[in-house]
Amino acid sequence: MDYAIQVTNLKKTYKVKQKEKGLIGSMKSFIHPMYKEIDAVDNISFSVTPGEVIAFLGPNGAGKSTTIKMLTGILYPNQGYCKVWGLDPSKHRKKLAYHIGTVFGQKEQLWMHLTPYDNFQFFAAVYDMKKEEANQRIQELIEVFELEEFVNTPVRNLSLGQRIRCEIVTSLIHHPDILFLDEPTIGLDPVVKENIRSLIKKMNKEFHTTIFLTSHDIGDIEKLCKRIIIVNHGKIVLDDSMEEIKYHYLHKKILEVKLKEEMELSHIPGVTVIKSKGANLKLELDTNVTTVGEVMNQIDTNNLIDINISNIPLEQIITQIYKRGDES
Amino acid sequence: MLTAAKNQLRVSALSIKYNLMREMTNHASFIISVIFMMLNNATFIIQWIILFSIRSDFGGYRMKQVMLLWAIACSSYGIAHILFNKAFTISDSIMKGQLDSFLVQPKNVLISLITSETNTSSIGDLLYGIVVVLIVCPEKIGIYFLFSIFSAISFTAIAIQFGSFAFWIVRSDVIADYVISSMIHFSTYPADGIFKGVTKLILYTIVPVEFVNYMPLRLILHFNFEEFLYVLLFSVGITTIAIVTFYRGLRHYSSTNLMCGRIN
Repeated sequence: MDYAIQVTNLKKTYKVKQKEKGLIGSMKSFIHPMYKEIDAVDNISFSVTPGEVIAFLGPNGAGKSTTIKMLTGILYPNQGYCKVWGLDPSKHRKKLAYHIGTVFGQKEQLWMHLTPYDNFQFFAAVYDMKKEEANQRIQELIEVFELEEFVNTPVRNLSLGQRIRCEIVTSLIHHPDILFLDEPTIGLDPVVKENIRSLIKKMNKEFHTTIFLTSHDIGDIEKLCKRIIIVNHGKIVLDDSMEEIKYHYLHKKILEVKLKEEMELSHIPGVTVIKSKGANLKLELDTNVTTVGEVMNQIDTNNLIDINISNIPLEQIITQIYKRGDES
Repeated sequence: MLTAAKNQLRVSALSIKYNLMREMTNHASFIISVIFMMLNNATFIIQWIILFSIRSDFGGYRMKQVMLLWAIACSSYGIAHILFNKAFTISDSIMKGQLDSFLVQPKNVLISLITSETNTSSIGDLLYGIVVVLIVCPEKIGIYFLFSIFSAISFTAIAIQFGSFAFWIVRSDVIADYVISSMIHFSTYPADGIFKGVTKLILYTIVPVEFVNYMPLRLILHFNFEEFLYVLLFSVGITTIAIVTFYRGLRHYSSTNLMCGRIN
């Protein structure tokens, strides 16, 4: 299998009713309804190789979920085609379901009154697994995802983090080749998020599962993904490896300096003062204009108490790319 | 093909079993809802006793026929809501984007969806129907069960047919609700004997209780092959139309981003 996912000129259009404000607007719309066509996904093409962990990012309404839904056979595209594990999702939905697992952070598929164990048994039946095979697989996943403590507690009594772990296990019961994760860490606390991330990483490493992830959490992307696709207004605005993105966009550094006495540094070309509080300064410097060394030369080392140099956060880089997409 | 059907049945049976298990978790509410539904249905007997004390028949129906009509209506409603409860709120599931989790499973979407929920009080409806038949004509219990199943299938198919309009028309749940409540309304009194003309035509077409309730009633009392064929053809026909409508509509399914989960 050359590609786990292959998307060519995929397009999805929604017809949305338009209405003017107020009661008169409602009446006008009732007599003469007006519709507007919105391109949720507009002619996108990309491919993913087996075993790859890819982040599919974009602001709200960019077309991420619509793309995932077309790739999993939930929605029919208006134009173009896609192949997931060599199958067309709109024609071979059932066949494809044996090869993919899905976790929609906003939509739970677990039965709330059942225990995770009973849920796993139910989903094993959904994927036509034999009893012995299912038991073995469930045991394996319970160990990997450390569910022993609450596997026999009804789902409704579990914490959100425990529930998401069970959702992920449910989607892995049938040994899927590709896992689609749509905001899997939404609403989770930092400790649980970290836990989920390490489990996803482990899963990719141990089972060689292809991961297709959408998330608004930069931590998810930084910790898990080697490649990023950014979409905005239904179009791909960037498709690159994480390393390349960092290389191209990390020419800006953040310098936090703590001085004994106040001093002026804003006159140096390429330096912007982000924050200034007495003798404490937070600067952003553009390494295309100046270097860290040049800035350091301007500071009297006897006046320096502490210094911290860091890259600009990935979140800021992604926001810049979103904005660039908006402008174009 | 046969294995796939067997697997589908296994999953649907598991789904129904889990639904019933959930309902039975709350002992008291389970028993109360079943008993109250039976009592609720039984109150209508008093109404009919009073009416039959004034007149000997209504549109050719006597007390026994009316009781049997109620029994068929209750048991078909009961079976349909015990096994396929989600069929009756299908438009809601479409509008709220609740088909997503069924679409990513390697199973029949429609069957998985409609068997994913059970209505407890409907057990009371089914039991009430059985009790009435055992009192009125116990010798007909076998054929009564057969036609109750036919009626339940047709009733469910009608709900799917009208509910599936939600793929094209927003808030089409109003249409589905209207048709289903009309079906329930007409199926509990002898409208085919009372009304003529346009109303009777409606009973054969838009609100087809004639095939779902009245004909099965006549067949239970006096079996004849011609009417049996009509009932059978109607059941197969409406089920086919409902399935085709649902799957045609599925191509227009737009899902949503509403937060939701299995509330059971």
